[in-house]
Amino acid sequence: MKDNIVIVGGGIAGMEAARQLLLLGYKPILVEKSDHLGGHVADWHCLFPDMTPAQQVVKDLTEQIKDANIFLETEVSFINKMKMGYNVMFSNGVNVICKAILLATGFDLFDASKKEEYGYGIYDQVMTNKDLEHWFNTGDDKRITGKDIKKIGFVHCVGSRDVKAGNQQCSKVCCITAIKQAMEMKERFPDAEVYCFYMDLRLFGKKYEDFYIKAQMESGVHFIRGRVSEVSENLQGQVIVKTEDTLSGKPAKITLDLLVLMAGIVCNREAVQTASMVQVPIDSDGFLKSRDNILNIIETDSKGVFLAGTATGAKTIPETAAEARAVALAIHNYLVSQQ
Amino acid sequence: MMEFGFSISPSSTMNLDKVDFSLYERLCEIEPDAKKCMACGSCSATCTAGQWTGMSVRKVLLDIQRGKEAEAARLLKGCMLCGKCTMVCPRGINTRHLILSLCRIYGEDEK
Amino acid sequence: MIDRFASGFDPFVIPFLIGMIFVLGYCIIGAIRLILQLDAEDKKKFFLSLITPKTIWKNIKDLFLNCLIHVKLWKRNKLLGYMHSSIAFGWFMLILLGHIECFVYMPHRVKLFYYPIFFNYFVAENEYTLRGAIFFFLMDFFLLVVLSGIVLAIIKRVRSRLFGMRRTTRPTLLDRVGLYSLWMIFPLRLLAESFTAHISGGSFLTIPMNMMFKAFLGDQMNMLPTWWAYSICLCIFMCVLPFTRYMHIPAEMLLIPFRNAGLTIKHARRGFAKAQVYSCPNCGVCIDACPMSIKKANIKDTTVYLNRNIRRRNEQRIEEISDKCLLCGKCTAVCQVGVDGPQMRIAQRSIRNYGLDQDYSGMDISAIKESVASEPSKDKVLYFAGCMTQLTPAISRAMESIFRKAGVDYAFMDKDGGLCCGRPILMAGRFDQARQLIHKNKEVIKASGAGTLVLSCPICYKIFREHYKLEGIRVMHHTEYMLELVRAGRLKLDGGAGSIVYHDPCELGRGCGIYEQPREVLRQTGELVEAEANRDMAICCGGSLGSLTLGFDKREDLTRNALHNLTVNDPDTIVTACPLCKSTFARYADKPVEDIAETVDKHTK
Repeated sequence: MKDNIVIVGGGIAGMEAARQLLLLGYKPILVEKSDHLGGHVADWHCLFPDMTPAQQVVKDLTEQIKDANIFLETEVSFINKMKMGYNVMFSNGVNVICKAILLATGFDLFDASKKEEYGYGIYDQVMTNKDLEHWFNTGDDKRITGKDIKKIGFVHCVGSRDVKAGNQQCSKVCCITAIKQAMEMKERFPDAEVYCFYMDLRLFGKKYEDFYIKAQMESGVHFIRGRVSEVSENLQGQVIVKTEDTLSGKPAKITLDLLVLMAGIVCNREAVQTASMVQVPIDSDGFLKSRDNILNIIETDSKGVFLAGTATGAKTIPETAAEARAVALAIHNYLVSQQ
Repeated sequence: MMEFGFSISPSSTMNLDKVDFSLYERLCEIEPDAKKCMACGSCSATCTAGQWTGMSVRKVLLDIQRGKEAEAARLLKGCMLCGKCTMVCPRGINTRHLILSLCRIYGEDEK
Repeated sequence: MIDRFASGFDPFVIPFLIGMIFVLGYCIIGAIRLILQLDAEDKKKFFLSLITPKTIWKNIKDLFLNCLIHVKLWKRNKLLGYMHSSIAFGWFMLILLGHIECFVYMPHRVKLFYYPIFFNYFVAENEYTLRGAIFFFLMDFFLLVVLSGIVLAIIKRVRSRLFGMRRTTRPTLLDRVGLYSLWMIFPLRLLAESFTAHISGGSFLTIPMNMMFKAFLGDQMNMLPTWWAYSICLCIFMCVLPFTRYMHIPAEMLLIPFRNAGLTIKHARRGFAKAQVYSCPNCGVCIDACPMSIKKANIKDTTVYLNRNIRRRNEQRIEEISDKCLLCGKCTAVCQVGVDGPQMRIAQRSIRNYGLDQDYSGMDISAIKESVASEPSKDKVLYFAGCMTQLTPAISRAMESIFRKAGVDYAFMDKDGGLCCGRPILMAGRFDQARQLIHKNKEVIKASGAGTLVLSCPICYKIFREHYKLEGIRVMHHTEYMLELVRAGRLKLDGGAGSIVYHDPCELGRGCGIYEQPREVLRQTGELVEAEANRDMAICCGGSLGSLTLGFDKREDLTRNALHNLTVNDPDTIVTACPLCKSTFARYADKPVEDIAETVDKHTK
């Protein structure tokens, strides 16, 4: 088939959609702004709930889409609407005329330094969920390597459910990620005490509750219901966390050797620009706007433009993959209807 | 009628059937954002006055929602109105105005 | 000059006399009432100032420059300045010259109240005219000046933008009556004097007009009616004056001596406050200045509307307007009569009835006292970061680093949390509570033995400077203190910070007059560029604690507007000197936002 399809974004959504489209007999063009496929997942170590290695997931997908046209380190420069489709210009100079565009632009991880009171970038012993995964992968981080870590804290909802941070939405995956990382840290530092500071625990997915129980029973993670308000540092370079233990109704402080901030999922800022080229607006939650949020979440009001994955809001990997498969089918049906 | 023992020891239990919401409702008229609170505790954790006087906006709101007006009044007396709670509230509640409004409507009935 | 009428009287002066007696009586009684409303301390201050040569001179100077010349308006817009000073100064000169004329030629008539005003009707020229020619010329000249002002005023009604005003207030019905009668007074005077110019003498304006009338009308039937009309117009203007915006003319004559006597607003509606309300000319300059005005919904919450509603005793609106304000003080900075918008609002807030009062008397603060206590030493510095700085730890960290680099012996008063300085609760109008906090904090500061108190937060700084009365202890904002260290050579800056724009925090700039110190430090830290509106015209970041009712979602537009103003010269970094401004700007800025302490700390050699 000669119908061109452009997929913007080479994360899980883009890759899975490309895989399905290849199976359907198309040869999609996938553009990815970074130098590797896999998006944020490529930076991760193990995935809940079965501790699947993230690298394996990305590798499997990459292998299965090698027949697609893949441009790495490439962005969309502009898109012009034409009579029968779109004319897409890439930053590498390639110009494509296509009938369908899939925006699988994913998310940005919230910039934790924007919450100055948590001290990311100010205090030595504060890191983000992503930094911790990086350490899991490489074993290289001066905040952990060679340090005597006795107490670790995880702060949920950093840049999520917070109007002050510009994102009112729940990021969905941080609760389970925090528990996963807490357990992983407990495995590496069996003597350490691990604390999770949460507002609400939202553990909705397959086997998540099992994870929670395991964290309580086997890892002995302490769950403290209270949002952290401030972090300071003592002369020894440890961080002191201020929160309210809302269940006992008392302000509480704790001294920690390492504080991990669960940076949330916010809309990809560059994606907003690309989306505006095809008249896809931003929804009231700050993510790209679907035609509706029940049956047509992968479709837009712009003809031939589709959405998949976290471009429309926080999602887990299985949810993203399912959406990507659905969007491949939707694109196929659309192209058939256009003939 | 089944009372689950709630008629026996009223001091250690709370009968939500009998809570007086009038103060809370009056507050919500003036500052509707009061309803937004999700009890995260940021305000109490950050409170400048908290460590000296026990002030906690979260507790004040909860007390008002549960009809414990006297307890809320005790806490409110310790507020320094510094505005830190307003700064940190993740729901953007104007806690300072909420506190001032409460201080005003206390005893409004007596006038 | 000779009398035309032996009686020296004509019935047409009666309307003028009625108006004059009414307005004079009203103003004198009003002034006495306002003075009586002052408390004993202020009364003493006021009367003392009236006999102190320094304040007498200042009063005369201010009355001349503000009431007659309107210097502040000239600075704002030349056309607007000319319009006001031509009417005010021109009219004043007409009255003054009229009296001198009368005194020179008709000394026996001076005791007649109306005579100098209608001088040209009552006199006839004789052989001495030549000696009066200079007066005739001056009278015509100033009449022309006033008339030019009136023409501008009419143009301004239609095209206020020409005068640098985007938005202005709508005049009330009485305002219009006052305005139109004011506009009519001078053309009618010109007509009246022209009709009598061949009898009483005239100059370049009135003589040609007189000849023209003679040519067209041929008789003098119109002479008396124009004098009547002139007198009636004066009467209407003076009779409505107390109930219009033009009340600001007499009120300002009381406000200036009040202010020069060093009075402060002690009561929301009486004395000094009332003088401010009546001094408001309703010009609406504060509407364009107010940072909230970028939202249409906030326009009616500016200071001019506060004054209007206080005059109308509309309690509900007074409360809304008072509580919404950010207290940034920009309205006061642009106000030509100097109505203190923030203080007026705090005063309105202070007369609320509360069912619950805060009380900190039982609070035990011995722990902080012990943590900072030491022997008194002039060189020792006590650092008070303040509540807001607890949420911006980069600032206090930078300050500690600067202290260490400069080898300063310092104690961190609220490292483990302190008390509030009292300014936020003072802003809410709760003075007794603020006093209690001041008292508690003073105990700690005294116990520390420090010779200098350094503050990172301008909100704290203002109350420490104005209300703490810490004898023997220097109170400094960190911008001032860093400048001192730099000047003494204890901090050496490398100048490598790139281009920097400095945002003047309201409480530090307009609040405390600190504009130059941070700039002097920043010029040595990097390349300083200016915002479009800066110094006393700086735009509030929108995060101010001053507003009680403005919700978080209502502030974003204000912040974005202030950011836009800051970044017109495309700086690399936005630097401010207030933790609240910093966190507010950082929320929406796409450039790095720093406190001056961080910038300095990063760029010391």
